Amino acid sequence: MARYGFVIDLKRCYGCYTCQVVCKAANHTPKGIDWARCVQAETGSFPSTLRQMLPMVCMQCAEPACLEVCPTGATQQDENGIVTVDQDLCMGCKYCMMACPYGSRQVVDAWETYFPDAEGALDPYEAYARKKWDEKYGSGVATKCDYCMDRVKQGLQPACVEACPSKARTFGDLDDPESEISILIRREGGFQLNPEFGTDPSCYYLPVR
Amino acid sequence: MSPQGVKEDVWIPTSCGGCYAQCGILAHRVDGVLVDLTGNPETPAGSGRICGKGVAQLHTLYDRHRINYPVKRTNPEKGVHADPKWQRISWDEALDTIVSKFKNMKDRRGCYFQATTVQTSEIRFAIPAFMRSFGFKNYWVSGGGLWCGNGAHFMNGITHAAWSIIPDWTYNNYTLYFGCSKGHGAGHAALQSSQWVADARARGMKAVVFDPFLSTQASKAHEWVPIRVGTDAAAALGMLNVILNEIGQWDEEYLKLKTNAPYLIGPDEHYVRDRDTGKPLVWDAGAGRPKTFDDASIQDYALLGEFEAQGVKCQPSFALLREHVKKYSLERVEEITSVPASTLRRVAHEFVEHAQIGSSVKIDGQTLPLRPSAAIFFRGSQGHVNSGWNCLAIDLLNQVVGAADVPGGAMGHGPPVCHGHPDTGKPETIPYTCKDGLMIVKGWVYDHKPYPLREPKPPTRLDLQDMFPCSVYNAFTIMSPDWEKYLEDFKIDYRPEIMINFGSNSVMTMGNAEDVTENFLKKFGFVFSFNIYQNEFTEAVADIVLPDCSFLERYTPCVTFPSTFCHPTGMDHWVWQIRQPVVDPLFERRDFNEVMLELAKRLGIQEKYYAETNKLIPVRYGGEMSPEYALDPKGDYSWQDICDRVLKDRLGPDKGLEALKQTGLEKWPTKVEEMYWRWFVSVRIPIYFEFFKESGEKARKLCASFGRENIQDWSFYRPLAEWFPCPSHEETDPDFDLTAFSWRPSFHTQSSTQNNPWLDEISVNDPYVYLIQLNEDTGKAKGLKDGDDIWVENKLGRRIKGPVRLVQGMHPDQLGIAGCHGHWARGTPISRDKGQFFDDLVIVDEKHTDSLTQGTDACVRVKIYKA
Amino acid sequence: MLILKAQTKWRWIIAGYLFLAGLGAGAYITGVVAGFLGDEWAQLSKIGVALGFPCVAVGCGLLIFDLGRPLNFWRAAMRPNTSWMARGTIIISTFMVLGAIHIAFWIWPFGGLSAGARAVIGMLGIVFAFSTMVYTGILLGAARPIAFWSTALLPVLFFISAASTGVMAVILTASLMGVPHSGAITTLARADIILLILEVFAVAMYFQATHRVPEGRESARLVLRGQVAPLFWLGFALLGLVIPLALEVVGVFALHDGGAATAAIVASISGIIGGLILRQVVLSGGIHAPLRAGRFEFGLPII
Ligand SMILES: Nc1nc2c(c(=O)[nH]1)N[C@H]1C(S)=C(S)[C@@H](COP(=O)(O)OP(=O)(O)OC[C@H]3O[C@@H](n4cnc5c(=O)[nH]c(N)nc54)[C@H](O)[C@@H]3O)O[C@H]1N2
Ligand SMILES: Nc1nc2c(c(=O)[nH]1)N[C@H]1C(S)=C(S)[C@@H](COP(=O)(O)OP(=O)(O)OC[C@H]3O[C@@H](n4cnc5c(=O)[nH]c(N)nc54)[C@H](O)[C@@H]3O)O[C@H]1N2
Ligand code: SF4
Ligand code: SF4
Ligand code: SF4
Ligand code: SF4
Ligand code: SF4
Ligand SMILES: [Mo]
Repeated sequence: MARYGFVIDLKRCYGCYTCQVVCKAANHTPKGIDWARCVQAETGSFPSTLRQMLPMVCMQCAEPACLEVCPTGATQQDENGIVTVDQDLCMGCKYCMMACPYGSRQVVDAWETYFPDAEGALDPYEAYARKKWDEKYGSGVATKCDYCMDRVKQGLQPACVEACPSKARTFGDLDDPESEISILIRREGGFQLNPEFGTDPSCYYLPVR
Repeated sequence: MSPQGVKEDVWIPTSCGGCYAQCGILAHRVDGVLVDLTGNPETPAGSGRICGKGVAQLHTLYDRHRINYPVKRTNPEKGVHADPKWQRISWDEALDTIVSKFKNMKDRRGCYFQATTVQTSEIRFAIPAFMRSFGFKNYWVSGGGLWCGNGAHFMNGITHAAWSIIPDWTYNNYTLYFGCSKGHGAGHAALQSSQWVADARARGMKAVVFDPFLSTQASKAHEWVPIRVGTDAAAALGMLNVILNEIGQWDEEYLKLKTNAPYLIGPDEHYVRDRDTGKPLVWDAGAGRPKTFDDASIQDYALLGEFEAQGVKCQPSFALLREHVKKYSLERVEEITSVPASTLRRVAHEFVEHAQIGSSVKIDGQTLPLRPSAAIFFRGSQGHVNSGWNCLAIDLLNQVVGAADVPGGAMGHGPPVCHGHPDTGKPETIPYTCKDGLMIVKGWVYDHKPYPLREPKPPTRLDLQDMFPCSVYNAFTIMSPDWEKYLEDFKIDYRPEIMINFGSNSVMTMGNAEDVTENFLKKFGFVFSFNIYQNEFTEAVADIVLPDCSFLERYTPCVTFPSTFCHPTGMDHWVWQIRQPVVDPLFERRDFNEVMLELAKRLGIQEKYYAETNKLIPVRYGGEMSPEYALDPKGDYSWQDICDRVLKDRLGPDKGLEALKQTGLEKWPTKVEEMYWRWFVSVRIPIYFEFFKESGEKARKLCASFGRENIQDWSFYRPLAEWFPCPSHEETDPDFDLTAFSWRPSFHTQSSTQNNPWLDEISVNDPYVYLIQLNEDTGKAKGLKDGDDIWVENKLGRRIKGPVRLVQGMHPDQLGIAGCHGHWARGTPISRDKGQFFDDLVIVDEKHTDSLTQGTDACVRVKIYKA
Repeated sequence: MLILKAQTKWRWIIAGYLFLAGLGAGAYITGVVAGFLGDEWAQLSKIGVALGFPCVAVGCGLLIFDLGRPLNFWRAAMRPNTSWMARGTIIISTFMVLGAIHIAFWIWPFGGLSAGARAVIGMLGIVFAFSTMVYTGILLGAARPIAFWSTALLPVLFFISAASTGVMAVILTASLMGVPHSGAITTLARADIILLILEVFAVAMYFQATHRVPEGRESARLVLRGQVAPLFWLGFALLGLVIPLALEVVGVFALHDGGAATAAIVASISGIIGGLILRQVVLSGGIHAPLRAGRFEFGLPII
């Protein structure tokens, strides 16, 4: 068993949103649903101002706040630490969205096309993406990043890791002290976001500078 | 579709066209449907990565707003915001109309080709071959001519034999950025560069970014230096002053052997030339007498001192430069740029220290100078009245420390020196010298090389560009209300008749939309346009719009190749990438290359078309065409035949189109002599532009002979780098207290990508791109709150509106607007009314033009008030 | 430039659920307590008990309506060990069962249940009604990253508001049914005056409590001075507190009979609407804590 984790190096990340878009393409997430969201911040005052992008994934917390609140048992944690949502059990109450400190969960109310004003049937890509999405998730349930488990099982890297132009993202096993991510966390002072919520995230960040 | 029962699941190697980085990608097709795009790990152009814009291009293929059929305008009313009331027509009707328009022209020279800068590789020879065979010279690289490149390509062509410069991140330890985002998403080999810069940062490379805005690159930098727009030359010359006159360090050897620094300059500001050979003289300090610059017996070139040669008092040009920059005292520079003198002084010191003058490094067994400092620039700093000199002033920092095209320094980009494919020796692009020993670039993207300068001659082009000695692209004249007057005054004996537009959205990318449309575009009686969307341009002025293939539906024989600016600069591999359809063109879309070829055939000019293609290939891709693959003027070729021949000719008989469709690319290792070519190629570059004065004088006389002597400020034609202010720097009206400029988000490409639903989604939530950036304290002093709608108005009363974002990361007297947004075209509903249309504020006229390079000033003094 | 945005997923329907669950339970408690106070209170008692189950049931209907997968609603009680929603579902369901039994065996159709049995059911019912009222606050409070919700004062505030709106629902129904305005009903109005005054204090303390962290301050700003302010000041402060308080005071101390009844009707309608708006105001002020990385604070994207 592993504890899958992520390291996102804020030094390397230059805020290109590639992870966010690639995740959409890889997982066919519908309009408005982004599992790899990026947010920006500015700090300091002119001219000593700093600006930074914070790219996110689901933190696959060891103590998931989402799991704690989920009333139906739809939210589960697998043996590799991946927090999953069972569509058959989820009732779409959105409680997990309120409880997750990292904004990692999203519910699709209803699948919508990106081209509402266009006439005729969905274009072949949207039709394909919709089919893929409906097969796996459908509407009304909570969804989230699962570290691309389908890809990982095939021996691939998560889509956003593979694409990130500046190689700011690394995926691996936190339980293995010799994994690349474990080494990075140790060597470069990796930290978790908002430890005050006691979630013990599996995604670590490397400091901005 | 795949045959019955067979499930298709294939990955097709091709090249992305999302921006002009043109990365190698793999397209995933399942049962005939394109379902994913990823990076292609085989190519150095992207090295297996793809960016968000790239992936989002999935929607470009199928986007239901795409144009699928030829249409014609039924509403004769043209203009910004006009509704063309498109009517679908057949391809035959479209082409018949076009051919008859061509045939009925009063004068064939009255044609104009306008092309977008996004699909750069598509336009290398199909357009010029048509122009030459049909017989006209007017072309326009869309907004590009105004906004980017005039100064940068010109100066870099002269000093680096390249289109631009980029740091050698493998060894660089210190980079000064002046208004550019290289390595942070801008299209200069975007993905490879962003990895290299991240690696460099991780190992401690420091970047200091001069930018009015805490831009992406500034946010990643070691230090952000807020600067007023358009003042970069002043900052650079101030630092040069510190380096030459305070620190007193420079790379002697480099200056002596690789530049014209030792050339002796007489009191007339010209070279002192040898009476017999006419060659410029230098002072041999060892022998104590003047010798020609290339005399093999020279013991030591003098860089400083006063001498007498050929009976005149003279000084090495370096001595003059050193003296000249004293004008740029840091106190004065601080006043101009707002950058504290102490910062400039410290940065100058750091720059020199990091250059490690005298150090060397061994790469692949070769010992090379190591100069891990670089100063780079691009659109931001060059889009001003001082375009050309801004660029040179910045590059001089590299030149004086010898950090040019050596490990760690500023590298010509795209990599200018290539010895060619091992099998064919093509493309071969090695710079060579003029008689004065100065470098001439070999492979060049534009018709006229930056050096030697163009000889001022009575103009023949509609924009008069061919009369100006240093203009790379084009001139401001066309956008002026006095265009007609210019044509009369300069005795141009034909008038605009037909415009052919490939992509370009010039209504949105050149300047004020009304100006562009009324003064320029509406002067063409007939406009036809190849497009993938109906954009502001087609809706304003196109009579016929032809549905083009997108980059995912067409063939291009050479997309990323050695010496082009999408090719990464570094010791990896050379790559030659092609583009191929990932699905057959949908609906009635047709590849523009194919259609131009068909037009040539219908016009009966195909023989010439083939002959011109044969002539263009060697210019574009270095090296003569082998007779075997040259097009036979009597032959009959399809676009794919031509692609196949170009490929076989450049890469070898077994590397034709069919072969490259399998791999998408051909690559071979880069050599040290190619990448770090400076000390392997025997050329010098000017730090003293002796030739400007004379050339400017000729151009002035020429203009005077037409009664328009004041069309330019001829004082720009001088030998030493200078800072000239923009009109925005000289504004005295206290209400107009801000200078507006534009910056590019990494996740959009010019005006092309805003209709992409995924990119739009990002933009709507991004805290910057669809808002106007203003310094928070400035905003508060004006009683503004974050998110308030404001008007931004220029001196002509043109104004744009949008919500303001109050930030600390902005110079207090500057105002930033992102990209090319604020669309209104009916054809791109997703993009409509999102973000601001900066260009509406831009003023294009004589006063806002660089007299040297014809670059446009893209900064504008504005006042703001609550909407 | 810290931009903090409120959640958008729980809106009016959930507000309606929180509100009706509270009001129903409040009315029910009023009814049961009234039942212990003697004959004079019998009618009011019946009204209160009768309002309990239907209001809570409609509230639950709203909740189910808001679900993405309503058919999975029955699974909601699977994890009472951790999830407050699961616990709440059990609590409310139990309350509804008790409330229904109470109605069924006392009012209609069976009747005739012994007063003792009624009292037992009533006492049990009060426990679950109380839990329901408090639970609506705790439910939100379990979303720990949302400081505006995650405070012990929210259950207090919701409890008081539930009690007050419950009382007002009883007064309103009674008044509309023509129950004379004297004795019991006036006492109830006096009780509501006290509840409203307590609510004013609770609200003040609630905002005080949210002021410790930036997201709480932003919530307070949003609600008191930002986009939600009109709803808060006009909808809750004016309709929910000032008008009912003023009218009840006037009604109790200055008016009689018809005048008092009219005042009570207007006061109750106003106060009840205010109670609904309070839930919506609290929901719309729900802002997640910013994410912190070194010196940076990042506002979460809208969820
Ligand atoms: N993602 C993406 N990449 C692209 C393109 C695109 O649209 N999108 N377009 C391609 C094209 S055509 C071009 S020309 C290049 C341009 O690429 P760059 O030259 O890198 O252009 P910008 O990204 O606009 O960067 C200009 C920077 O200069 C700053 N600036 C503006 N005025 C001044 C000034 O006077 N002085 C200084 N020091 N700074 C200033 C701006 O704030 C901005 O941060 O990018 C190419 N690559
Ligand atoms: N505000 C502001 N304005 C700017 C700039 C800026 O930084 N800010 N930058 C300036 C610069 S440097 C430049 S280079 C110019 C660029 O200006 P343009 O060359 O006009 O480029 P785009 O705006 O990208 O417009 C390209 C058009 O081509 C279409 N297109 C894309 N792909 C294809 C294709 O395969 N075939 C055909 N037929 N059409 C296609 C797109 O739909 C789009 O409408 O903009 C300039 N204008
Ligand atoms: S793809 Fe990489 S560099 Fe781009 S925003 Fe995501 S993490 Fe940052
Ligand atoms: S990040 Fe949020 S959704 Fe993901 S496991 Fe942690 S609490 Fe759950
Ligand atoms: S939305 Fe689904 S996963 Fe989330 S808490 Fe409710 S039942 Fe659990
Ligand atoms: S790991 Fe996969 S699912 Fe998670 S953010 Fe990255 S691409 Fe999306
Ligand atoms: S950088 Fe440009 S060419 Fe490369 S993947 Fe992104 S959009 Fe495509
Ligand atoms: Mo450009």
